[in-house]
Amino acid sequence: MTHLVTDPCIKCKYTDCVDVCPVDCFREGPDFLVIDPDECIDCAVCIPECPVNAIYADADTPSEFASFPELNERLSRLWPAISRRVAPSPEAAQWKGKTGKLAGLDPALLAASP
Amino acid sequence: MSAFNEETVLSVHHWTDKLFTFTTTRDTSLRFSNGHFTMIGLRVNEKPLLRAYSIVSPNHEEHLEFLSIKVPDGPLTSRLQHMKVGDKIIVGRKPTGTLVIDYLLPGKRLYLLSTGTGLAPFMSIIRDPETYEQFEQIVLVHGVRQADELAYHDLVVEHLPQHEFLGDLISKQLLYYPTVTRESYRNMGRVTDLMESGKLFEDLKLPALDPASDRVMICGSPGMLKDLKHMLEHRGFKEGNTSKPGDFVIERAFAEQ
Repeated sequence: MTHLVTDPCIKCKYTDCVDVCPVDCFREGPDFLVIDPDECIDCAVCIPECPVNAIYADADTPSEFASFPELNERLSRLWPAISRRVAPSPEAAQWKGKTGKLAGLDPALLAASP
Repeated sequence: MSAFNEETVLSVHHWTDKLFTFTTTRDTSLRFSNGHFTMIGLRVNEKPLLRAYSIVSPNHEEHLEFLSIKVPDGPLTSRLQHMKVGDKIIVGRKPTGTLVIDYLLPGKRLYLLSTGTGLAPFMSIIRDPETYEQFEQIVLVHGVRQADELAYHDLVVEHLPQHEFLGDLISKQLLYYPTVTRESYRNMGRVTDLMESGKLFEDLKLPALDPASDRVMICGSPGMLKDLKHMLEHRGFKEGNTSKPGDFVIERAFAEQ
């Protein structure tokens, strides 16, 4: 079991989740956050904090986000930890609510591995 | 700034061979809401080994208190149970959690339903004067297997009603319902069964559960959380969380090791 960050976070990165995480398991990439599955304790406190509903328990992840468990796990090994809230992405307001944002990201970034 | 404070153990009390409690110093900068949990643990081979623990003590006290089970092969509790006064312990600087009265809609009666060490956050909440301002009546339910696992029983029954500042509020507004499943006791049975059958309400001379007036907090084993959530939703209660208050809230970060 773990929790994970999905498509709605992309290009938004509000980071409200980070402030409530008791184990600092969020990792910050250029366009979105991920959760380190080895650190997450499944407390679920972050879920309601996200203004774009990007966070799910892995067992509850909608099928359209099927690629995200693997992305969270792999990218969390590459990206630095973030433990305090920062300003959202500059264009967060215009990307909020858009879907399928993963397809617009640099494939090289998404394909990176440790 | 480090994510953790190093605190000193001030006292240790063993309730049974499987259950103990301890108090520690508290960094003056540590802030929390009554009902919150935080990560605590020990350094093992230079690495922090941490688990989520609800804070037993209310936030107006100068020390911190925690309640823990002892698991013989549990990575943390197998070590934690040997702790002595003066030992060092790591305490996370980010207490958090969902069992906070602000995450409940206004109501008349507050049910605090716990099993085992799930009692811990409610010991903080019942010592918060705000709880007694927000609710007319507070019903603390604690389910355990054997009567000697009723941690804090004497504190709730004998000492808190005599408390210098809270005694009056507690005497008038707090009802305590300890129940035991595996030996003879004045209240017997699982919390879920006692609520489903209505026995708990009969014993306490309370009306049946009603989402119009009752609010509920739940902390205990995963099975108990699931059963009670199902029961409440069936009766029209809506779950609340940190951003949207509701009729009941649940703590999911339950330390089992």
